[in-house]
Amino acid sequence: MATTTANISLSSDISDSTISVANESTLYTAGTTTGLNTMTSVTKVLASTNNVDLITTGSVSTTHAYVYINNPSTDHTEYFHIHIGNNVGSGTYDDGTLPTEEIGRLYGGDWMFIPWDVDDDITIKPSVSTDMTVEYQVFS
Amino acid sequence: MATTATITLASADIAGDPVNVSKTATCTKAGTTTDLDQTIGLNRVHLRSTTNKTLLAANAEGNDLAAKVYIVNKATDPSLYVTITINAQTVGKLYAGDWMFIPWSQTDTSASIEVAATNWSSSTGDVPIEYALFHEDTDYLTNA
Repeated sequence: MATTTANISLSSDISDSTISVANESTLYTAGTTTGLNTMTSVTKVLASTNNVDLITTGSVSTTHAYVYINNPSTDHTEYFHIHIGNNVGSGTYDDGTLPTEEIGRLYGGDWMFIPWDVDDDITIKPSVSTDMTVEYQVFS
Repeated sequence: MATTATITLASADIAGDPVNVSKTATCTKAGTTTDLDQTIGLNRVHLRSTTNKTLLAANAEGNDLAAKVYIVNKATDPSLYVTITINAQTVGKLYAGDWMFIPWSQTDTSASIEVAATNWSSSTGDVPIEYALFHEDTDYLTNA
C-alpha cells in the first residue's frame, strides 16, 4: 500500500496571540492503518454557470476518500460554489429545492481539503461563464 | 493581519512518479484581497455523543461573506471517527489524525456544521477534536 500524507500549516495574526497550527495526516482506508492506493488528478475548464458534477460517487470504488480542490485563479472576485449532494436538472440554484448543500465558495487562490464519504456527488458552479479552471485530486 | 493556510500533499509511491502538491492560500474577505479580520481562535472539545452536535452555528448574515473552517480529529485510535455534517448533509468522516479545511457558506441558518462521534462508546474514550474559524462579518456576535 502507498503512503500519502496531507500536511496543513495554518498561521494567523488576527488576534494578539498568533495562531499557529501544523498537522500531518497519513491517508488510510477507513478505520485502519492501511494506506490508500488510488489517486485521481484532474484539471478542468468550466465555461458556464451551470451547477455540474465535479466528482461523482461512481468514480470512486470505496466509501471513504479525501478530496483536494483548488481554484488556481488569481482573480479574487471569481469563485466556485462547491456543493455536496446529487446534481439535478431543475430547480433554482440555492433556493432550497435542490438536493445539494453548499459547503462553501472557493475564491481565486483558495483551496479546500475534505474527507468524503462517497454517498453523494460533489458538484460545482462557477460564478462567471468565462473560462474558469478548477483542479482537484481524489485519494481513495 | 494575515491568515495563511498551506497544504502539502505528498506520496512517493501512490503513482509511478512522486506526487508533491503544495498550495498556500491567504484568507481574504469575499471577492477582495482584504485579509479576514475575525477568528474564534483554536478550540478543543471532547466528543462523547453519537448523535449530531452543533460545532459551529450558521449565521444568516454570514451568507455571501467569507469564512474558513479547520477541524482535526486528535484521537489516536485509528478506528474512531467523527462524522461531519452540514445541514443534515454528511460531508465525510474524520478518522484519527485526519483534518479538513473548507470555505464555509452560511447560506441559511440551517447550514450549521455538526459533528458526531458516531462510533463512540463508553469503552472507547472521548474523541477530542480541535477547530478554528476565521471569518468576516462585523456583527457576528450580535445577530443570534
